[in-house]
Amino acid sequence: MMNENRLTNSFKSYVGWDDDEQISSCETSFIEQELSPKLHPGEMIIAEAQSVLLFTPVNEQKTGISGVLFVTNFRLSFVTSNEKHLKEHHIKKNLLLGHQRIHIICKNMRTLSYSFKFSPLGHGKTLANALLHHAFPKRHQLLFAYDYREPNVQSRYSTPTFRCRDDWEKELQRTKCFGWTLNSSNNKFCLSPSLPQFIVIGSAVIENHLRIAMQHFRDGRLPTWCWSTVNGATLSRKADVVDPSNLTQENAMLEIVRKSHPGLLRPFIMDLTKNLPSPKDVNQSFIKLQISVPGKWLQYVSSCLSSALIAANKLNRNESVVLQERDGRDLCCVISSLAQLMIDSHFRSIVGLQTLMQRNGVVMGHQFCTRLGHVNSTDSVKSPLLLLFLDCVWQLLQQFPAKFDITETYLTTLWDASHVSIFDTFLFDCERDRHCATKDVSPLMLRSVWDWEEQFMDQDLIQFHNPLFNASEVHQDDLLKVSTEISCLSIWTQCYYRFLPTLEISNGGKPLEDFAVRTLISMNDNDSKDTREVCTPSNIGSFFPFTHWRSSNSVPPSTLTISSLSLNTSDLQMETSLVEIPEHI
Amino acid sequence: MDLNNKYQNMSSDSDSKSSSLNSKVEHEESESNSPTKSRRSTSSTSNEIPTVGDIKLRNKPSENVASGRSDDPPLLLGEKVQGVARDVTYLCPFSGPARGWLSVTNYKLYFKSLERDTQLVIEVPLGVVSRVEKVGGQSSRGENSYGIELFCKDMRNLRFGHKQENHSRRNVFEKLQQYAFPLSHSIPMFAFEYTETFPENGWNVYEPMAELKRMGVPNDTWHITKLNDGHDLCETYPAILAVPAGATDEIIRNAAAFRSRGRIPVLSWLHSESQATITRASQPLVGVGGKRCRDDERYTQLIIDANAQSHKLYIMDARPSANAIANKAKGGGYEPEDAYQNAELIFLDIHNIHVMRESLRKLKEICFPNIDETKWLSGIESTYWLKHIKCILAGACRIVDKVENHKTSVLVHCSDGWDRTAQLTALAMVLLDPYYRTIKGFEVLIEKEWLSFGHKFQHRIGHGDDHHSDADRSPVFLQFVDCVWQVTCMFPNAFEFNELFLITIIDHLYSCRFGTFLFNSEKERLQKEVKQKTVSLWSYINSDQDLYKNPLYWPQQHALEPVASLRYIKMWKGLYCRWNPSMRPQEPIHQRTRELLHMKMQLMKISDDYRRELRHKASRNTSSNRLTSPIHI
Repeated sequence: MMNENRLTNSFKSYVGWDDDEQISSCETSFIEQELSPKLHPGEMIIAEAQSVLLFTPVNEQKTGISGVLFVTNFRLSFVTSNEKHLKEHHIKKNLLLGHQRIHIICKNMRTLSYSFKFSPLGHGKTLANALLHHAFPKRHQLLFAYDYREPNVQSRYSTPTFRCRDDWEKELQRTKCFGWTLNSSNNKFCLSPSLPQFIVIGSAVIENHLRIAMQHFRDGRLPTWCWSTVNGATLSRKADVVDPSNLTQENAMLEIVRKSHPGLLRPFIMDLTKNLPSPKDVNQSFIKLQISVPGKWLQYVSSCLSSALIAANKLNRNESVVLQERDGRDLCCVISSLAQLMIDSHFRSIVGLQTLMQRNGVVMGHQFCTRLGHVNSTDSVKSPLLLLFLDCVWQLLQQFPAKFDITETYLTTLWDASHVSIFDTFLFDCERDRHCATKDVSPLMLRSVWDWEEQFMDQDLIQFHNPLFNASEVHQDDLLKVSTEISCLSIWTQCYYRFLPTLEISNGGKPLEDFAVRTLISMNDNDSKDTREVCTPSNIGSFFPFTHWRSSNSVPPSTLTISSLSLNTSDLQMETSLVEIPEHI
Repeated sequence: MDLNNKYQNMSSDSDSKSSSLNSKVEHEESESNSPTKSRRSTSSTSNEIPTVGDIKLRNKPSENVASGRSDDPPLLLGEKVQGVARDVTYLCPFSGPARGWLSVTNYKLYFKSLERDTQLVIEVPLGVVSRVEKVGGQSSRGENSYGIELFCKDMRNLRFGHKQENHSRRNVFEKLQQYAFPLSHSIPMFAFEYTETFPENGWNVYEPMAELKRMGVPNDTWHITKLNDGHDLCETYPAILAVPAGATDEIIRNAAAFRSRGRIPVLSWLHSESQATITRASQPLVGVGGKRCRDDERYTQLIIDANAQSHKLYIMDARPSANAIANKAKGGGYEPEDAYQNAELIFLDIHNIHVMRESLRKLKEICFPNIDETKWLSGIESTYWLKHIKCILAGACRIVDKVENHKTSVLVHCSDGWDRTAQLTALAMVLLDPYYRTIKGFEVLIEKEWLSFGHKFQHRIGHGDDHHSDADRSPVFLQFVDCVWQVTCMFPNAFEFNELFLITIIDHLYSCRFGTFLFNSEKERLQKEVKQKTVSLWSYINSDQDLYKNPLYWPQQHALEPVASLRYIKMWKGLYCRWNPSMRPQEPIHQRTRELLHMKMQLMKISDDYRRELRHKASRNTSSNRLTSPIHI
């Protein structure tokens, strides 16, 4: 089994997508209907198996619930009629085996076991084959995003895409950047396939020089701008030179960086390949983390945080920093984003963090498709660098719980969403690939993951906001001096343990704490004449809103339990509706 | 109409009040009323934090009475300077040596350095000291190689360098020996000299009869026996005991003879609805011969009969089964199931005091003074401390499960029934009964399950005793508090008290400033007139309760079911690693939550006033509006 697990390279889980309406319609109409999953526009059933047993996680696998298992072109779905409630798992993509039994290990650390012991002959095999085929598409065009037909939702969270001049210019203005200029020479991706069409380079670089200089850097990645302090120091990033024996162009470029500094200070060069793990190392440690050996993973979190802190400290002292990495597309994204997060409070809101990730990760060409393994390929290195970054942000949030307007639920949801091949944000390796996909014969409709309304109801989105955050206390220039020692870090229980029901603390944990704070705040905000009945929410566990109820002891889905309470405050309802999501993970 | 006007007045009133209150909060914050903040502010002025003395920077006049001259330490009432040494160097493991003066009082060691820009103050109650040693001798060369080293019970060591020329070491060393170990020098403990008075009297917190009454005892099935009035039946038990109503004096006496040190099964807690109970005892004296005692068996059956919901009893033996069996050789053992019908025996696998002591010793090694980052995780694992904590918590969870979910009574014992038994019963009671999660309730719990039932604090802590390697010492109570802390982390809303409350209890467990944790049993405390001659820790705490409140407290009536998994059991850095400046929390999160606490209080007051007003109206005007719902918080 173990060996097979290692071979596994893909699975996706689909974060709650349906809204209440659909769920309730499901509950009522289901009895007359055949058991079948609700399909999204463009989704179709590929294979199904009747009378399948689903086992509860971490359990001797003696008990299970029976239902019908479907594989669609988007997900794996288990529908059961047990205990008068409908249970659906929208899971996509994984690995398996054993006779009459499949064992699925998901990329987000979930594991599922199904048995076909009672299924009609052949069902299991068909299903497994369909799953193998659709969980590991061989080509990008086979991803569900190309088939999905649902109109776009326009988001209130207007996160800039950095695909137009305007977004970049605004950011340059905001940071009062000088000495660096927006350049559009990479129009049509002719100079560098992995850089975006707009890049910010030293003002002193002249057009002809740019073309020559880019040839000397891997992928054409000469020093590009990330962020500036008010006093003019800059954070920039670059790749290694193609020919290490010829440093003329590199020196010329670094000289331009030096000249961009108001004090003409030489920049501090950080080689990120020195003290940081390679993408391969990160992946190895992630595999260890999945089997509950978190030591290496924490060590990498620690080293990323300390590298970013070094950079942030330099910037804070108004020294310029240049991040350097072989291709400049992996740890450059992680470290530059973390450093900016530590030094600039602008990035600590949801939109701020999304802006940061969009600019430093997505647009600057972090290879999400390769690193997250969306397309099955043997010669590419998978590595959950995104998760490593999110874990670092989570550590920051633990140490500075009032400095961010995000919650761990937001971070976990973001990690889940990165595996859903509906949103294009994390689906491509670079802007050029994305651009091509939209110009294809069957063009891809772009759908940003940042448009959270596409996935969640408004009241659920409240879970993304940190009740302890106080916007009025934000100071522009507070550097988050994070403690980076392993002894100061902790394990992100919500993200890593949520699929183990036995580890859920019922009626406890952070969600209840947040709930209390939200209620207190709303009591204060509302006029006191509005004295309402407020009661302790029950059945909110520590993994809320990712709770998975132990199906063995027939706890009804949390949705029902909670909504059957007479909750008449809007806050409470806000708290509860996200409960529905786990049913659909 | 009238009411509306009134209301508007009130709300505008309250608005102005709110702003003034808020500003007051902030003011207090900066005065270091917030625990985390206070720790940080201390860290900026001194390098060692937080000691018992300076954890609260309350500037009480009484604490400064005798500080006439500038180089006198701040003194408590009843505290006197015994010796002073100048030109002493404190060798701080974190920020290097600092020169200053050192004084020893009958309560504490006080070091102050004026050398640096930031003032450095070290204040250590002498009760915390477990060992004092001279470092270096006549021939010592090298800087600071000649001096004194203190080994403390609270996970730190302190090293001072003395100048050989001025002979200051001998005096300091002698005074330290005397006042750190008063028992070994026939000097009274500081608690008996300390004369400060507080508005609250903590000795009144626990009234055994009132507490039993709170649980509904006496009732049909449980009654209170006076058999132990003079501590004759069992000298380590309290005078007031609750036993099954059907147990005659004769049965009790015979059962006591069959239990180690006469510690018969007595009531700890009674489930108000199901009548399932937690009882505690010591091991039965079965021995190698497999002795039996009809009356002990009958007595056990009476405990089963007292609970109509179940015909079974779980006997939770806290020990590993091997230890329980080994105890037969010493005349002890466990209940054979054929003799005790309807009882099921479960071993909880918790190790003895010697194993725990060793585990804490290892823990100190990896926490103090410097943390080796590369070995942090494996180091913690190798101490087994977290494993032991997990084991205790898991045991308590099993008890809770039986009592709460199966409505079945549980009898808990270990060997003598005053160490592991106290951990388990007290922890189970915290989980089961929301009352024990309040400040007062938790104090009652300690008074009852730990102090009155004879946990041997004197022996386990070694108050004022210089036998630092005494095999009786063990961090049993510390483990209990650690377990409670673990639970507070899992249920951040369920407890009225905060982390500072628990740390303060631990600090004064060692400090000997209060009489609370002195001596081994109720009987000894009565003889020594502890209540009359010393101050209770609860007087001190209850006189300033706000400091210890959890702003997110949200009373929950149900039983807590923590997850006793190693994935959740954490190292309590706020206690064990607090001397290390790099391990302190980043942000005073409590500042925000404290503001919320004030906000909440204020809102509740407004709503109460408003309701009273309405009720008043309603009583005058029979056809009144419906009453607004109260806020349940």
